[in-house]
Order: sequence, then C-alpha cells, then structure tokens
Amino acid sequence: MSALENVYNIGKPDREIDNDILKPLESFPTKLWYIAFGLATAGVVMFWSIAGYSFVKGLGIFAINTPVGWGFYIINFVFWIGIGHAGTLISAILYLFRQRWRTTINRAAEAMTIFAVMTALTFPVLHLGRPWLIFFFFPYPNERGPLWVNFRSPLLWDVFAISTYFTVSLIFWYMGLVPDLATMRDRLVNIEAKTKLGNTLLKLRKNVVNILSIGWVGSAKTWIHYEKMVLILAAISTPLVFSVHSIVSFDFATSVIPGWHATIFPPYFVAGAIYSGFAMVMTIMIISREVFGLKQYVTLKHLENMALVILLTGMMVSFAYTTEFVMAYYSANDMEQYVFLNRLKGPYAWSFWTMFTCNVVSPHFMWFKKLRTNIYVLFAISIVVNIGMWFERFVIIVTSLHRDYLPSSWDLYVPTFFDYAMLVGSFGWFFFWYLIFVRALPQIAVAELKADEAGDKAKGFGH
Amino acid sequence: MTSFEDVKKGLYRYEEPDKGWVIVIKDAESLIKGAEKVRDAGIKRFDCFTPFPIHNLQEAMGLSRSWVPFISAIGALTGGTFAFSSMTWIDTSSWPRIIGGKPPFSWPIYLPITFELTVLFTAFATLGITLYLGRLGKSSRRPVVNTVTSDGFAIWIGDDMSKSDVEKLLQGLYTDINPVKV
Repeated sequence: MSALENVYNIGKPDREIDNDILKPLESFPTKLWYIAFGLATAGVVMFWSIAGYSFVKGLGIFAINTPVGWGFYIINFVFWIGIGHAGTLISAILYLFRQRWRTTINRAAEAMTIFAVMTALTFPVLHLGRPWLIFFFFPYPNERGPLWVNFRSPLLWDVFAISTYFTVSLIFWYMGLVPDLATMRDRLVNIEAKTKLGNTLLKLRKNVVNILSIGWVGSAKTWIHYEKMVLILAAISTPLVFSVHSIVSFDFATSVIPGWHATIFPPYFVAGAIYSGFAMVMTIMIISREVFGLKQYVTLKHLENMALVILLTGMMVSFAYTTEFVMAYYSANDMEQYVFLNRLKGPYAWSFWTMFTCNVVSPHFMWFKKLRTNIYVLFAISIVVNIGMWFERFVIIVTSLHRDYLPSSWDLYVPTFFDYAMLVGSFGWFFFWYLIFVRALPQIAVAELKADEAGDKAKGFGH
Repeated sequence: MTSFEDVKKGLYRYEEPDKGWVIVIKDAESLIKGAEKVRDAGIKRFDCFTPFPIHNLQEAMGLSRSWVPFISAIGALTGGTFAFSSMTWIDTSSWPRIIGGKPPFSWPIYLPITFELTVLFTAFATLGITLYLGRLGKSSRRPVVNTVTSDGFAIWIGDDMSKSDVEKLLQGLYTDINPVKV
C-alpha cells in the first residue's frame, strides 16, 4: 500500500467502527433531527397539497404560458436528476478507478441519488396534467388499437433511461446495504429497551432489519458471488450515468429551438450533473460529519478531493458555456445569435449573470489549498454551485423559449407563488427521505470500510 | 473454450451448516491458513464466514471463479435482443408509421432504448443469480457465530470428524470449537 492510500486509513478495530457508525441508530433521535424532520414534513405536505390543487384547478395555477410551455417543473426535474448523478458516479466510476476515498462517502451519496431521482420523477409526471394516464408511456399490447408509443421521441427514451437508472441504483444501493444490515441485525440481539414504547419500537425494528438482511451470514461462498455482482453493477452503472443525462439533454437538443439545438448538449449536461451532484454531496456530508460525529471517517482530505472534482467539472461547464457562444457566433444563424445576445442583455439577463457568477467564477476558489480545506468556504461554495446549476436550467429553458422565431408570440415568463412553493416543497420531499435514511440505515458502508482497513492481507471489493 | 462443466463448477452455492463443527478463528490470516488446511485434508463440505470479503480465501478454499458474470452476459443479450426486436416488430408489422419522413424501420433511433433495456436486464440477471447462489432471502437464518458479521471469523466443517481431529487439523489457529446447533 502506498503512503497516499494510508491517508484514508482510520486505524480502528472493526468493532469500534461498528460502534461509531451503528450506535447512533440504536437510540432515539436528537431534538435537532426532530426539528429538521418537522420542517421537511411541512415541505412534503405543501408539495403534495399544491400538486393535488393542480389536479383540481389544472396546470394554469403555474406560470407556464404559450411560448414558455416548460417552466419550473422541467427546470426542477433537470436540476434534481442532475443532483442524482453524483451518487452513482461515486459508487460506480470511482469504484472502477479504485479511488479508495469513495468508501466512506458512497453510501450517503447513493442514498442521495435515489431520493433525488424520486424527487425528479414527480415533476414530469405532475407536468402531464393528468398524471393518472402515466401508463400510456409504457409500450404494452393494449385494447386501444394497435397503438404504440413513439420510439423516435427522446421524451420516451427518457422514460426508459430514468426508470432504468432508478431501478439499477436502487438494486446497487440495497445490495450494498445487505451485509451492513446483517451487522445491525446481530447487534440488535444484545439490545434491550427500557420503556414500553421503546420495546415495541425495538421489536418492530428487529423485524424490519431481519427481513431486509435476507439471511446474510457472511459465508465466503456468498461473498465471492456478491463481489462479482458489485463489479458487474458498477460496470453497467458507469455508462448508465452518462446515458441518462445525455438522454435528458436530447429532450432539448433534438428539437429545433435556437439555444437548444446543439451537439454539445450531452457532454455539457453530464458535466453539469456531476458538478451539481458533487456540490450536493458536499453540502450534506459537511452537515452529517458535524452532527453524527463522523469527522474521523469523512476527513478534510475527502472534502478536498470532492472540491477538486467540483473545480474540474466547473471548468468543463464553463467551457461548454463558451462553446455555445462561439458556435452561435460562428453559425451565422440570426436566430441562434439573437438567443445568445438575449441571454446576455435581455429581460432574463439577471438569471444568466447569476448562473455565470455561481458556476464559472465560484469554483476557481478551489485552486487555493487554504480555501479548499476550509469547511466554511466549502459549505458556502457547495450551496452557491447548486444555486448556479438551478439557474443554468432556468436560463436554458426560459431564455430559449420566451423569444423564438415569431416575435408576435414572444412573452415573458413570471413564476407564480405555486411555482416557488413547489420548488421549496421539493427540497422538503428530498430531505424527508434523507432524514429517515440517516436514522434508519448506516450512513457509511461498514463492510466495505472494514475490507479497506484490512488492506493487503484481506483484499476485497475489487481492490 | 469453456466447457459446461467449468460453468457448473463456478456456480457453487451457499450450503446451510446443518451438522459438524464450527471453529472460531483468531484473525484473517489464520482463517486463510485454516481454509488451506481443510482444503488439503480433502474435506468436501466446509465454508468460511467473514465480516468482509477476503480475496485470497477463494484460492485457499479451492473454489473456482464465480460465473455470475456469465449469467449477467446472458441477461444483457436477452435485454438488448428483446428491446431491439420488439421495436422492430412494432414499427414494421404491428403499426408501421412514417414519422419525419424516415422509413418505419429506422434502427439508429432504437439504440437509446436498446441500451437502457440491456442495462436493466443485466442488473436483474445479476441480482437474481446472486440471490439464488447465495441462497439469500431466508430471513430466519442466523450466523454460526454472532461475531462473524462484526469482527470475527469462523470455519464450518460439515464432514464427519471427531473433535480431537478438528483440533489437530487447526492447531494454533482457533480460539473455540463448538458443535453445530440445529
């Protein structure tokens, strides 16, 4: 093992690692958690109440109008799907590249992916207006004629891409949890509650953990197949991550709207997704390591590595912005040129310049070691980056649509109260699941960490 | 060329420790040494239990390489073929349409969905075969010793052997030897 790899060694006996990570799950939550969970639940209630109201009143309660048919719903959808890319990137791509530092952050990042995709999925479904007709999207022999979906539509590709992504991420995440759930199960045997309520809850917990751990007993004959499974899932998830956001970008790029019809879209979207995803992982991990006392596990070195990924992908995104402008200039196409000038100086210039400041300028602070090892700076930048990435989708969708070919149909897009409430509510929905996760399941992959700690004498998980 | 026998050898399954001895082992190195001794003694039914995967153990136990990837590949081929051929059938014979001036059979536009379903079927095949070979899904099962999911190691020997024979075989490597509880 090289000296560099030793940086990530925790150097604790396995039992203490179990204690550090699993003990917080064996007692009642703290006051802080209840407050956070209460706020998130309020967000969930608001989100679904407005969704319900929109079923009754129609999509007219939102600001979408004739030129801007894709408003906050699609902006939020692309934003959350982007966030959902870091988890699989960390668990699959960094796994294949044998980046040891991923071990302590991959479980939380994967959970974040799943909840972000769950949040993202609600938006296009609600945007249907009649979400109960969602089954029309699935090609199955039906009584409606020979009537099939249009396989030429990138919107349909999206249905396949995102449902596959969600399913595969869920399998990968859950199967990764199974050995840790078995550890939890065998620890719970020795635990007794003091109160009657505690006893009832403990019994429920024992049953749930028991069922979820599907009879895992750590047999070598299971581990060997299991490891191959992890390797295969990582190998198929890697191209899957790239395909999903590429296909999301096809929703735009295959249309003939100026500002959307560009070949740079797939790599541009993928880089942006990794950029925002890593920023979100960083925001969450900075809070988690403080609150749950995981500083030994998620060290400054881990945060620094994430900061460097943010710097790299931030520059890729900046490069894509520049390319778009150069291509518009070089295309000699009046429509294309107008859209980009309109972004710089039009009625939505403020959104462009917000995006530009957040995404192009802010990552460059990460060049300085002093700044990228400062928790406060990292936390601030991780939030700024996500604000920037939300505005990126706002710029792409609103500035391209609100003034297209025919000046007589130009219009402004002014979000309503309900639009903003849905955006806020989506954060509630996301954190609602995430807060349940941190209380119910180990945030760090315990078995994987132990294999890493054992080092050369017990190589495991593809190392 | 891989023979069917090779594949079958790589599809070994988890066995329930239903009789014999459970030997609690001191550490990972002793476990590897112990597994080698048990293998060399020609014992057929035995297994090792560890809290995390140990690669060298596969060789020490004399297990051939896992054929899970082979089944995954079958899943991938099934998914890809199914997706591509169903879209072809739908667009050419069930409901042929001309969209955007392109012929009904326009294969390049099938590729995104073909790719996604290839990945999905691979994932299901991989999951299914791992659950099957690991005999996972039986929640009532408990580990032979409680510590093997935390920091302990154990070997189970299912062949007929007396306690003193086991002690002789694994001298210096074990901390405890118990009969299997049924």
